[in-house]
Amino acid sequence: MESDGTREKEIETRLLDEVGGVISTIKSAKHVDEVICALHSVAVLLFPTDSSLIVGSLDELHRAQVRSAKIPAANERKKWRRAFYRGAGFPTLALVLLIDVASNWLPCFPFSARQHVYDVFFVHGLAVEVIQSLVPCLQYSLNDGFDAKAVKSNTERLLVLSLLENGGMLRMVKELGSSELYEDLTHAQLISVMSRLAQIVASIPDKASQRASSSLSSHLFFKQITSQLLSVSRDRTETISDQESIFYKHDVDTTLLFIGDIFSRICRRGSSDVLLAELVPELLRHVQNILSSSGDSVSVDNFESDPGSQFWLNIMEAVKDSYSIERISEQILLQLASRLASDTETYWSLHLLFGKNFEKSPSIRSMFVDKFLLWKVLPLCCLRWILQFAVLQCPPIANQLTKGHATEILLDTVQRLVSVWASQDFIQSTPTEQQVYVTAAIGLCMEKMSKEELDSSKVLMHAILQGVSCRLENPGHLVRKMASNIALVFSKVIDPKNPLYLDDNCVEAIDWEFGFTIHGKGTLSTSTFIEKHIDDTKSLTSSESIIDSCHQTNDQPNKITRRHSRRASQFKMIDPDEIIDPSMLNLESASDKDEDDASSETSESSGDSSLQPYDLADDDTDLKQKITQLVDIVGALRKSNDPDGVDAALDAAEKLVRASPDELKHIAGELVRTLVQVRCSDLAVEGEEESIEEKRQRALVALLVTSPFESLDSINKLLYSPHVDTSQRIMILDVMTEAAQELASSKTLKSRQQQTVSRALISTISETQPWFLPSSKGPPGSTLWKEVSETGTPLNYSHRYEREVPSRPSPIIKGKTRRWGNHYANIKNTQAEEWTGNKFPVYAAAFMLPAMQGFDKKRQGVDLLGRDFIVLGKLLHMLGVCMRCASLHPEASALASPFLDMLRMREICRHKEAYVRRAVLFAASCLLVSLHPSFVASCLTEGNVEVAKGLEWIRTWALEVTESDTDRECYIMAMSCLQLHAEMALQASRVLESTENNASSSHPKVGVSLLPSNLNLGLGTIKVPPSNLRYSIM
Amino acid sequence: MSKRPPPDPAAVLRGHRASVADVCFHPSKPILFSGSSDGELRIWDIVQHRTLSSSWVHSAAHGILTVASSSEIGANKVISQGRDGTVKCWDIQDGSLSRAPLVTIKTSSYHFCKLSLVQMPAAGAGAANWCRNQQEKENVDVVYDGRGNLGEDESESSNSTEEDSHCGGPNCIAVAGELTSEVELWDLKSAERIARLPESSSTGSPSISGSQRGMCMSVQAFLPSSSQGFLNVLAGYEDGSMLWWDIRSAAGPLTSVKYHSEPVLSISIDGFCTGGISGSADDKIMLYSFDASTGSCIIRKEISLERPGISGTSIRPDGKIVATAGWDHRIRVYNYRKGNALAILKYHQATCNGVSYSPDSKLLASASEDSTIALWELYPPSISK
Repeated sequence: MESDGTREKEIETRLLDEVGGVISTIKSAKHVDEVICALHSVAVLLFPTDSSLIVGSLDELHRAQVRSAKIPAANERKKWRRAFYRGAGFPTLALVLLIDVASNWLPCFPFSARQHVYDVFFVHGLAVEVIQSLVPCLQYSLNDGFDAKAVKSNTERLLVLSLLENGGMLRMVKELGSSELYEDLTHAQLISVMSRLAQIVASIPDKASQRASSSLSSHLFFKQITSQLLSVSRDRTETISDQESIFYKHDVDTTLLFIGDIFSRICRRGSSDVLLAELVPELLRHVQNILSSSGDSVSVDNFESDPGSQFWLNIMEAVKDSYSIERISEQILLQLASRLASDTETYWSLHLLFGKNFEKSPSIRSMFVDKFLLWKVLPLCCLRWILQFAVLQCPPIANQLTKGHATEILLDTVQRLVSVWASQDFIQSTPTEQQVYVTAAIGLCMEKMSKEELDSSKVLMHAILQGVSCRLENPGHLVRKMASNIALVFSKVIDPKNPLYLDDNCVEAIDWEFGFTIHGKGTLSTSTFIEKHIDDTKSLTSSESIIDSCHQTNDQPNKITRRHSRRASQFKMIDPDEIIDPSMLNLESASDKDEDDASSETSESSGDSSLQPYDLADDDTDLKQKITQLVDIVGALRKSNDPDGVDAALDAAEKLVRASPDELKHIAGELVRTLVQVRCSDLAVEGEEESIEEKRQRALVALLVTSPFESLDSINKLLYSPHVDTSQRIMILDVMTEAAQELASSKTLKSRQQQTVSRALISTISETQPWFLPSSKGPPGSTLWKEVSETGTPLNYSHRYEREVPSRPSPIIKGKTRRWGNHYANIKNTQAEEWTGNKFPVYAAAFMLPAMQGFDKKRQGVDLLGRDFIVLGKLLHMLGVCMRCASLHPEASALASPFLDMLRMREICRHKEAYVRRAVLFAASCLLVSLHPSFVASCLTEGNVEVAKGLEWIRTWALEVTESDTDRECYIMAMSCLQLHAEMALQASRVLESTENNASSSHPKVGVSLLPSNLNLGLGTIKVPPSNLRYSIM
Repeated sequence: MSKRPPPDPAAVLRGHRASVADVCFHPSKPILFSGSSDGELRIWDIVQHRTLSSSWVHSAAHGILTVASSSEIGANKVISQGRDGTVKCWDIQDGSLSRAPLVTIKTSSYHFCKLSLVQMPAAGAGAANWCRNQQEKENVDVVYDGRGNLGEDESESSNSTEEDSHCGGPNCIAVAGELTSEVELWDLKSAERIARLPESSSTGSPSISGSQRGMCMSVQAFLPSSSQGFLNVLAGYEDGSMLWWDIRSAAGPLTSVKYHSEPVLSISIDGFCTGGISGSADDKIMLYSFDASTGSCIIRKEISLERPGISGTSIRPDGKIVATAGWDHRIRVYNYRKGNALAILKYHQATCNGVSYSPDSKLLASASEDSTIALWELYPPSISK
C-alpha cells in the first residue's frame, strides 16, 4: 500500500509537470502543429492513441516528435489516467483546452487531430470529472480576449459527444458504482458528489445556449439521459446473476441513489412527462413479462424474486424528493392510462414501485389516499387504479375493482371523502371537475362496501345523507345528478333489490364521469357532454318507443281475449232472484255457436266488405266544460277538491285573460293570487304536472301583460309573502321575466314615414334603434338590421348584423300606364312599415322596484341571502332581463342607479353560491347593454357619481371574478361582462368625442383631443381596456 | 287499410230553438219529423233541407219527448209524446199537421221513457217498399211475409187494428205507465189502455220485484213471428235490468236479464225481431240475440265505451249497422252483426238525444241538445238486397 501511495504521488507529480509543460507550450505556441504535438504528448500517456492517424497533417519536425513519443504500457496507462483525472491534472488542462485552445487553435485543427488529441480527453476520460469541468464552461463569459462564442459552442459539442453519443451517463453510473474509483471517499462524501453531479447534469439544458444543438434541448436531452439510465436497470439484470450480492448491495445503493437524484431533478425542472414517457414502457414491459410468465397465479413473490424487479423495487426509494415522487406517480398514472394498460398491469406496476414504501412511508400513503383522491383530478381509470392499489390493497380480479381483506382502510377512506364531500363549502367553492372526481371516488368505493360496513359508522351514513340532500337542492343539473348517483349506490348497498332512483332515467351502470371527458390536464369538454346527452336522450326515447310498440303489439290481443273470457264467465253467473228460463241454461252452447258464427262471418268477407271502419281516433277536447267568465276561473281554481274544474279553468284562463275583458282590471289581482296559490302538483295526474304548470304560468304571463299594474301589485306582494314556498317564488319570478320579455317585444304597426319624421324632430338621443346596431343609414328600401344567428353565449359582442339592400336602381323603363308606373315603389313603401314598439319601459319601475325592496330582509320562510339563494339568483336574473327589456329608454337610466346599488351589496356580489354570482354577472351585463351611451356620457360629464362609480365597480369586480373565482362559468361570464363594459365605454367615449367636437367648434381654443385626460376634476373615469386609453372627463 | 277520417254530416237542419229530443223519418216520404223540448214539432223536407211546417204541439214547459211514425199506424200519421202526460197522434196533410190531433191519449205519465211503436218482423223489406212507394206516390202496398194475415192496405188498417186491438196488434203503443215501474199498452185508435205489465190488478199482489227495478226507462214493443200476433214488449229499467213481457202472460215477465249496471235508456230491435241492442247510462252497449220460442235473450256482443251514456239507439232497417246517440256528443256507428266500431261521428256540440235511420237505410238523422239535427250518409245500403 505504502509503495502504491508513493508511486501514485510520483505519477501525479510527473503528470503535473507534463501538463505544465504542455500548457506553457500551448501558451507560447506559434503554430497549430506545436499545440497538436504538445497535446499528443499527454494523450499518448493516457489513451491508446494511434499516432499515425494524426501525423498526416503535421510538418516534418513535429511528425518526428510525435513519432518519438514514448508509449507507456496499458497497465501503466491506467494508473496514469486515474492519477490524471482524479488529481489536479485534468481540471487544469481542461481549462486550457476548453478556453485557450478552443478559442485560438481548435478551428485550425485537422479533423483527425481534433478527434485524437483533443476530444479524446473528454470522451474517454472519467465522465464524472469530465462533466464537472465541461459544464461550467457553458456559461463562460467574455474576458481575456477569448472568443466566448467559440468556447461555448465547443463545450456544447463536447457535451453532446461525451454525454449523449458515447453513453456518458452510463459511464458515470458505472464509475460511481465501481468500488475502485471512489474508494477513498466516505459514503457521505460520495453522496454529496453525486448530488452535485446530478445537479450539474440536470442543469445542462438550461445552461446551453439558444443556438446549441437540439439534442441539448431539455426534451431531447432528458429523454436521452433517461433512456441511458434505464439501460442501467437492464444491465443490472444481466450482471447480477454472476455477482456477489454483498458487492451488489453497495452498488445498488450508490448508483440507484444517483439515478433517483437525477430523476427527481428532472421532475423538478418540469420534465416529468419526458422522464415517464421513457420509464413507463420499460416498466410495463417488465410487468407484462412477469405476468405472462407466471400465468394465472400471480403473487407478490413472482415480482420480488425476479432479478429484474430489483431496480423497480428500489428506485422510488432512491427518489428522496416528495414533490418529485408526486409528479412521478401522477405521470405514471396518466401514462398508463394513455397506454391503455389493464387494471392488473397497473396494479402490479404500482405495487412494484410503491408497494414497499406504501407501508413504510406515511407520506406516500397520504399522497395516494389524500392528495390523489381529494385534490387532484385524474381520469376515471386512474381513479380506479388508485383505489385498487391504495384503498382496496389487493390485486384486481378480472379487471374489476376487487375488495381485499383490509376493509378498515376502505371504510376510513370513504369516511374521509364523504365528510369532505358533504360539506357545504366543498359544494360551493370547488370546481365542478373536482366535485365530479370526488363523487366518483366515493361512488366507486361505496360500490365495494357491504351493508354491515356502512352500518358500522354512524357518521358516514349521516354525512352521505347530508351531502345528498345539500346537492339535491342545488340549481345545477350536474350537482343534482351527483347526489342522485350517490344515493343510488347507497341504496343499492343498503338493499340491492330496491334501488332508489331520484331521477327518471334508471340506468343500471352509473356513469361516474358524468359525461365529462377529463383530459390529461383536467380540462373538460362540455360540448361533447351536451351532445352526448342529447344523443343519449334521443336514442333513449326512440328505443323506448320501439319497446313500447313491441309491447303493444304483443300484449294487446292477449289482453283483449283475456278480458273477454272474464266477462263471459261473469255472465254465466245467474242471479238467483231472476226467473230462470230454461233456454238460459244453454247459454254456453249458444255463445259457442255465436263464435262459430263470428268466424264464419269473418270468412265470408263479401257481406261486410262495404263496412270498412273510419278512423276511430277520438279525443275529448270538445267535451270539457268551457269557462267563459273570469270570475268562474277564480271560483274553479279555489275548489281544490275538483281537479277537473281546476284543469278546465287553467285551460281557459290564458285565452280569457288575453281577450282582456273590461272586468279584467278589477279581478286581475285576485286572479293572480289564486293562480299563484293553486297547487298544480297535487291536482295533476302523474306525468302531467308539466303541462298544468305551464298553463298556469302562461295564464299568469297573460295577466301580467294585459293588466300589468294591477297584477304586479299583487304578485309583488306575494313574492316576499311568507305564505308561498320557494317553488312558487321561483315561478313568480319566471313569470315576471317572461312577461317583461313579452311586453318588450310587443308589436305595433308603425309606418316608416312617421318614423323618419319623428327622428327628424326628436334629438338623436332618443333614437329608436339600439345603439349597438349598425347605423340604419343606407339606400332607401333597405330592410331592418337582423342579427345573424350565431352560436355562442347570449352576451356575445361579436354579433353580426345583416340586412337586405334593394338592388341598385337600374334604368328600368317604367310602364307607360299610370296605374302601374310607380306601383313597385309604393309596395316597397308599405312594406317599409315596421313592427316596433316596446311597451315594457312604462312598466319597468313597477316590475323592478317592488322586487328590489326587501329582498334582504329575513322573515318567516323568506331568507333570500341565505337558504333561498336560488330565488335570489332568479330575482337577479329577472331584474337583468327587465333592464334589458327597458334598454335604451330613459327608464333604464333611471333604474340603473338603484339596481347598481343592489348589485354592489357585499352579500350579493360576493355570495357564496356560484349560482348567485352568475346571476349578478348576468344582471350587470344586461345593465351595461341597456344604458344608452349618451346617458353614460352625461353621467360622467354632469356628475352622476352614483352611476359612474357603479359602472366602474362592474369593471373592477368583473376583473376580480376573472382572476379569483373558482367557478368556470362565472369566469366566462365575467369575461363577456368585461367585453361589454369595454364596448359601452367605447360608445360613451364616442359620444363624448362628438360633444367635444361640437364644443371645440364653438370654442376653437380648446384643442380637439381624443384623450381629454389633461382635463382634471375627474368625476368619473371610463377605461377602454383593450387600448388602455383612459378617459377622465372633467 | 288507410283510415279515412269520419265524414261530416250530409246536412244540418237548424231551426229548433231548444234541445231536439227525438227525430223520426216518415215511413214512405222524404220527410223528417222532429220534436224539441220546448214543445215544437217540425216537419222537414229532407231533399231540400227545409222546414215544411212547425207547430207547437205540447206545452213549452213540458216539451216533446218522442216523435214516432210508422207505416203500421198509417203513412200520414205522426205521434208525439209530451212530458205533459199525453200522447197525441196527428194527421199530416199537405206537409203540415192537422190543427187538432186525431187522437189524444192521456197516459198521465210524466217521465222520460220514450214510447214505442210496434216493431214488425221482416220490416227490412220495408226499405224496398219505401223506395217503391216514393215512386208510386203513396200507393202503399205493404206485403208481409211470415204469417201473412197482417197483409193490409193503408185503407184497411183501421179495420184490422180494431180486430187486433185486444191482443195488442201493431196499432198500439207501449209506454211507461202512470206507475213508473209499469209498462202500459195503449190502443192508438181508441186511446184506451189495453194492458199493464205487470198486470197488478189481475194478480192482486204487488208487482213482482217491480219496486226493486225502479222506473221503466225504455220500452220496445215488437211482434216476433212466433208469438202468433201477440205483442211482446222489452222493457229496460232503472237498475239496468231488462224484462221481456208477453202480453199473454201479463202477470210476469217471460225473461229477466240484467246486463247493465245503470238505467237502460234505449232499446232497439232489428227488423227480423231476432236481435236487438240496448244502450244505458253505463259505459256499455249490448247486442243481443233473441229466441222468441224459448224467450231467451242472449248477449251476442258487448261493446265498451270510453265515456258512458247512450241515450238513443237505432238499427238500420237492413240490419247491417247500428247507430247510437251518446251523451258525449258523439254518434257512434257499429257493425250490427259483428259489433265492431265503424265510425265516431263528431258534429254535435251537446248531448245527443236520439238517432234514427230512414226506412230506405240511406240516411241517418241525429238529434241533439244543441238544437240541431244532423243528417248523415254512411255506408250506402247495397242495392242487391
